[in-house]
Amino acid sequence: MAWTTKDSGGMKVARRAEPYLTQAMRDELTRDILPRYETTRAALLPTLHMLQHKHGWIPAQAMLEAAEFLKLAPAEVIDTASFYEEYWLKPKGKHLVQVCRSIACEFCGQPEITQAVRAKLGIDVGETTDDGKFTLIELECIGACAGAPAILIDHTLHEGVTPEAIPALLDNVPDPH
Amino acid sequence: MPFHPQGLTSLKPSGRVNPNLHALAHGGGPILTKRIPSWPYADPKDRLIVSYDEYVKTGGYVGLRKALAMKPDAVTEEVKKSVLRGRGGAGFPTGLKWTFLPKLATNDQGQEADPGQRYLAVNADESEPGTFKDRLLMDYDPHLLLEGIAIACYACRIKTAFIFIRGEYHHQAHVLEQAIAEAYQHGVFGPKGLLNGENTARGGSFSVDCHVHRGAGAYICGEETALLEGLEGKRGWPRIKPPFPAVKGLFGKPTIINNVETLAHLPSIIEFGADWFCKQGVASTLPGNNPPSFGTKLMGVSGHVARPGVYECELGIPLRVLVEELCGGIRNGKRFKGAIAGGVSMGILGPDQYDADMDFDIGRKHNVLGLGTAGPTIFDEDTDMVAVARNIARFFKHESCGQCTPCREGSGWLYQLLGRIEEGHAKTRDLDLALEIATSMGSMPGTTICGLADGNNWAVRTIMNKYWSEFEKRVQPTHVAVKMTVGASAKG
Repeated sequence: MAWTTKDSGGMKVARRAEPYLTQAMRDELTRDILPRYETTRAALLPTLHMLQHKHGWIPAQAMLEAAEFLKLAPAEVIDTASFYEEYWLKPKGKHLVQVCRSIACEFCGQPEITQAVRAKLGIDVGETTDDGKFTLIELECIGACAGAPAILIDHTLHEGVTPEAIPALLDNVPDPH
Repeated sequence: MPFHPQGLTSLKPSGRVNPNLHALAHGGGPILTKRIPSWPYADPKDRLIVSYDEYVKTGGYVGLRKALAMKPDAVTEEVKKSVLRGRGGAGFPTGLKWTFLPKLATNDQGQEADPGQRYLAVNADESEPGTFKDRLLMDYDPHLLLEGIAIACYACRIKTAFIFIRGEYHHQAHVLEQAIAEAYQHGVFGPKGLLNGENTARGGSFSVDCHVHRGAGAYICGEETALLEGLEGKRGWPRIKPPFPAVKGLFGKPTIINNVETLAHLPSIIEFGADWFCKQGVASTLPGNNPPSFGTKLMGVSGHVARPGVYECELGIPLRVLVEELCGGIRNGKRFKGAIAGGVSMGILGPDQYDADMDFDIGRKHNVLGLGTAGPTIFDEDTDMVAVARNIARFFKHESCGQCTPCREGSGWLYQLLGRIEEGHAKTRDLDLALEIATSMGSMPGTTICGLADGNNWAVRTIMNKYWSEFEKRVQPTHVAVKMTVGASAKG
């Protein structure tokens, strides 16, 4: 995660007229979230979560809007957003399939699970299907070691999955929102 | 002290919430999981989220009421007397931690000066591979945590608590938010004061606010100062100490950071007393004035066992008893090969250490870093220990925050090297190199700001040392016999 350096100074931000940080979101932040904290920056993680929940990822324009709303420098927002693995700064598929690859899961059959998902979706780890429906990643411990191997599909945890169960699981993924 | 596996003889038929819970807690039954059906007392299939009403009906918020009738310092004193040690991994005595907060002046009438803004940061960023015990509490009995938070806040005169929960725990964050809403509705938290503005021994009511703050997928945020950075909306880079958080923490204010399970112990310690708490667990058998391991502990057993899951046991239970009697033994009748002591950073217990006692002495007795979160991952005889080391090295490489050079660079090299060893492309000298990297990237104190590099070091080094022959078999000799290609022998 943490350690990426790239020249983004000259990056041109594609803009759209409609804001990503909608008025309703701004109202909710002002009413519920901001009063909790001493600084506006502390509301950054909740703001980014909100943006990602609504749009599926966090475009550059959304980060600029968040910076403006929280009275931060855009660099501060990018600094935080790029550190945390859960924030997607590039578009991802409609559904996120996360296979746990940590200690208990790997030695209880995770490699076969990853293989089954790859075979079913026809993509490799880190890729998105052509129809934009699924993105597959492997991640470190999701805290379901007793149910190894475990996978997270969007917000739903599936424990003790078998390679045979994967196709049906992926065919019946409910809408994320 | 002979060990009694708790309640093994009193195996009860599965039932929902046992109406005699209260008595059970006194009589040596489960304490933290008394409302959460768990082996060996009940069938985990019967687990339900405990609502506010059910929580109160089964003796909930009694501990808090009792705490409010005590002076805050008396509460701290009781916790100190119980020698409750932090359940998040380090095992630091909780009551002692609380006393590091700045002292408050009292006036002639015994009235305390205004403590100003202080914070409680609840560490629910449970991300260490092999650790899933806090999740159980947040999944099913959120009010137990909330009651613990309220007690800690009162004892430390803290007005705001933040529960920093890891981003992947979507469901748990939701459950907690619902429970907090319930608690506000029933006046536990909120402007009126704890328990609807109940009069406290401190004088007047004492109000506490409690919020959930979701992390976003960074293991390092489980480190206490990185957690504070995450709360402040910054990247989770651990801070240099001192100043310690108790003096200068969140937003520069005095802050206490406690683990979920630690806080969940508080209601019963206050309700039944420190002496009752000290009857469970074991004293230290190490020479010197070593703190004891009192109380019960949630032990999340994973890996190759017949019945993995979270078990509440007294500290000091031998690993063998935990696995063979509670977890139904190694699955498929295989033999024990090794176990991660409690979260991967603690290192490994070798094949001859199956009888290790699960208490805070384990580190010094069995050459591991410590008890950690007491979540052993068990490996059967077929496990490739080189692959285990590689898996752990990959985890640390992935989760190193990148702030300190030894950890950022060392973790990457170590992963590459172990990958090469696993593939059979390494030479014998690479084994020494791996050990050297591990040792020099993290050896307390001093090479890095936080303990992540130490965890990496201990995990890799103990696996390599305890399974040396397996590693040796995977490498080629550094010096290879050279076939002569000149002179008389070239023809032969």
